[in-house]
Amino acid sequence: MKPAPFDYAAPATRQEVLEALAVAPDGTRVLAGGQSLVLEMNQRAARPHRLVDINNVADFDRLEVDRAEQDGGWLRVGALVRHRAFEQPVESGPLGRLLARTAHFIAHPPVRSRGTLLGSLAYAHPTGEWPTLAVTLGAELVLASADGTRTLDAESFLIGPFTTALRPGELLEEARFPLLRPTTGTAFVELRRTAASFAHLSAATALSVEDGIVVDVRLGMAGIAPQPVRARDAEHRLVGRPPTDSVIAEAATVAAAGVTDPPPDPHSGSAYRRHAATVLAERALVKARQDISEEVERP
Amino acid sequence: MAEPGTPGGSVTRVEDGPLVSGHGCFVADLRVPGCTEAAFVRSDTAHGRLRAVDLGVSRQVPGVLGAWSAGDLEEIPLVPVLMDPDVDGGRPWPALAVDRVRYSGEPVAVVVAEDRYLAEDGRDAARVTLDPLPAVLDPQVAARDEVLLYPGRSNVAVETTLGDPIDAGVWERAAVVVEARYRYPLLCHTSMEARAILVRPDTGGGITVWCSHQAPHRLRGDLADALGLEADKVRVVVPDVGGAFGGKSETWPEYLAVALAALRLDRPVRWVEDRKEALTAGPRGRGQSQWVRLASDAGGHLLALEMQTDAAVGGYPHTGSFLPEVTGRMAAGTYAIPQVCVRARAVVTTTPPLCPYRGAGRPEAAYAVECTVDLMARRLGMDPAQLRRLNFVRPEAFPFDTPTGFRYDSGDYAAALDLALRTVGYADWRSEQARRRAHGGTPLGLGICTYVERSGAGGEYGALEAHADGSFTATSGCCSTGQGHATTFAQVVASELGVDRRRVRLIEADTAVVPDGVGSFASRSMQSGGEALLRAARDLVSEARERAAARTGVRVDTASFERGAVRANGSTFTLAELAADRPLRSEARAEPPQAFPFGAYVAVVEVDPELGTVHVVRLVAVDDYGTVVNPLVVRGQTYGSIAQGLGQALYEADVHDEEGVPRAVSLLDYLLPTLSEMPEVAMDETCTPNPNTLLGAKGAGEAGCIGTPPAVVNAVADALRIDPTVLAIPLTPRVCWEAGR
Repeated sequence: MKPAPFDYAAPATRQEVLEALAVAPDGTRVLAGGQSLVLEMNQRAARPHRLVDINNVADFDRLEVDRAEQDGGWLRVGALVRHRAFEQPVESGPLGRLLARTAHFIAHPPVRSRGTLLGSLAYAHPTGEWPTLAVTLGAELVLASADGTRTLDAESFLIGPFTTALRPGELLEEARFPLLRPTTGTAFVELRRTAASFAHLSAATALSVEDGIVVDVRLGMAGIAPQPVRARDAEHRLVGRPPTDSVIAEAATVAAAGVTDPPPDPHSGSAYRRHAATVLAERALVKARQDISEEVERP
Repeated sequence: MAEPGTPGGSVTRVEDGPLVSGHGCFVADLRVPGCTEAAFVRSDTAHGRLRAVDLGVSRQVPGVLGAWSAGDLEEIPLVPVLMDPDVDGGRPWPALAVDRVRYSGEPVAVVVAEDRYLAEDGRDAARVTLDPLPAVLDPQVAARDEVLLYPGRSNVAVETTLGDPIDAGVWERAAVVVEARYRYPLLCHTSMEARAILVRPDTGGGITVWCSHQAPHRLRGDLADALGLEADKVRVVVPDVGGAFGGKSETWPEYLAVALAALRLDRPVRWVEDRKEALTAGPRGRGQSQWVRLASDAGGHLLALEMQTDAAVGGYPHTGSFLPEVTGRMAAGTYAIPQVCVRARAVVTTTPPLCPYRGAGRPEAAYAVECTVDLMARRLGMDPAQLRRLNFVRPEAFPFDTPTGFRYDSGDYAAALDLALRTVGYADWRSEQARRRAHGGTPLGLGICTYVERSGAGGEYGALEAHADGSFTATSGCCSTGQGHATTFAQVVASELGVDRRRVRLIEADTAVVPDGVGSFASRSMQSGGEALLRAARDLVSEARERAAARTGVRVDTASFERGAVRANGSTFTLAELAADRPLRSEARAEPPQAFPFGAYVAVVEVDPELGTVHVVRLVAVDDYGTVVNPLVVRGQTYGSIAQGLGQALYEADVHDEEGVPRAVSLLDYLLPTLSEMPEVAMDETCTPNPNTLLGAKGAGEAGCIGTPPAVVNAVADALRIDPTVLAIPLTPRVCWEAGR
């Protein structure tokens, strides 16, 4: 388990990083936390010719709440922000709580102290926690290259298992998560075998209820399709209705009906997955509803 | 805690300071000048004809010093058998594949380079041409001999019948007969340190071998035989070892290839197995498919048990062929069943070689027997604890000869079960279960396993020397792979001599210093090695008394020994004083028969009825290891083996595709329990001393692997109100959900 030969560069500025990526775009990979890439290199499943280590670029540490914009603003996450940064809420609203609830599902503490949120998005594990959350919340991703930047929403970015829209020479520079309105309850639930395992299935939700009626909801699922998906049909069943047990159960059934082509796994077939997906979607929605009464409506 | 009069006590291990502070020295840490590193070209096919191995490009890789396949060697050394010489004839196991591969991961060539990176570059440059043959992964399928691994020879390498044939009428007369099938998956040993060896050619034609191993003297003999060297030209040293669990007591093909390469290059060569190799190409444990039939009268008296078990011993049966027989011999379990008959077969399959894995045949027996007993309890409508109690071998019946040919030395099985049930609060949990069943709540189940196992095999060497400075050197033929011998063997000696244990230094695991030894496996170290040192200590005292008597001119029987000193004729001589003029030393060999530790495990579980996930709420382990020298060390081993037992019950399985190619390449795929998965564990012991030794110790350390899985499976079945035989290990959420529907 030793990597094949590779070149290594560790530029100090953003501009140098983008230039370094432009030199030989094919076969060059970005090294941030290295928690997945280095493992794959050690197994020689990944054989980059060149690594561009971005850890010397101070700007990439940025983690900012940008409330100035319309639509409630964004949480902006830079390319070197580690998983552990989210273990405690990074902002006081529902988004901060949801990120904190999700962070502790990621691997184990050593991985969380080194691995990065953006690295997880770029790795695109089919049940990765951050990809699931990014799809659920409609995060926007900023991709930078020597030619300029472009922005993609998470669903357009994550196009399959371990496959993204990232082009050779591009750096995933920033993720922008929309802040959630204060009336939002959130939940992240996961089915996994051990505390250190990747998830079989997970469900993430952000549920806004006003005057007893669902005014907005996001429900995302992982493990039921080749990449995390938003359960829009289920969301439509919820909006405009009270989040009663029966409405939630109905929505959960709809969410799991989308089980199409789950990632292969020797230990759980698609019948079990479909069933378990229903259970997880239901539990996520019930937890989010409970979150509203505990966190939002708390005097 | 130690009873008064028993040796030792719960002192912390002297080994742990260096190990937990990064000062251990494992094979990978050794700094040997000029050392090179090896990597293996392995078959990526489970079964195939080997057409060609092209190492031409490999040899051109900068830094590669040599690369060899079987075709490059005039004579290819053969891998020796572990136990059973009969499997060897007609089924040779070359160190590097010659014309056929029989498991995915089988070594085809070895590449040696200045470092491991370059060696892997050379490995990747190798071109292997194979014509695939059908894979045969299931031992029952393989036994049909439709695809032969060794043309002209049956895939059934060994077939053993244990016990007299069961009188057919018993099945008709019985009030209840149950039948069940079980499959114990192939498992990986997953010691923290995988296999590792370093071979250095010495001047004079010999070699020094550092190896992460359990049996250095056997390795020395095997290497000498295979390489055509005199035994005294081979020195084997075992440095710190990061766990073994049975996977390091063999002489693996990789070791032979490394030694050959070292001799050819005349340079030290090291091979450190990485995790991917260990999971995809390393040895396996368990892997049995079983059928069991059990008869009872209406009152719950068990009448007969019949078992057929087939073990997937892998492409080469050399290291695992004896395991199904061990399972068969343990098929009577803790019960006085009048008729027991077992057919045990070792069947070659295109899977990595089978070898002992912590428990080695006993977990496979306990799983089948204990789940079948629970099935019988359900059919009889009896409490499973009561059915067990009714059928235990009684304390007065020992030594007890089982119908399968083992002699259980001693035991009180009901005492262990009663203590376990008291500790867990059995009646209270049953009430809670009834409450939940009546009023709702997460399904709760209780599961019991009462086990008896076999420990120790063969004799062991021990020696002791008193030094003039007041210190002592104890020498043992055992070989600690993490068990803590430096602590516990010193306790045995110090306690017998009445001296400070910190003055006793242990030497083992070096064939140049230890003249003779068997090693550490089968829970044998304290039972046999501790006994040898105890005997050596007593001999040392005899010699000391004779010297003191001679010095003072009195009869030896008037010289008394106490607290490290002899009193004779009014004078007191310390052992140090008696060792001042000439060496004061003793040697002993202990040859105790195998022993039969036993115990009772109770698991309390909750099962999420919607997802099928199992939460082990509580686990109680009551073990009887005979006399325990250091309860802290023994409980540490019990706890570790419980963790592995939970792994067997809930998580672990060697996942491979239909062609027999392993799919688990890292510990993200081969799941182990971590501290996060450990339930609340309560451990206790009963003590039935080994009647065949002075020390009284029986084997400890493997029990949790044996007792935990059936207890958990029975508890999950109880929670779901189903037959345990509906379940299959590992109990994945899917398995439990489907079983509970």
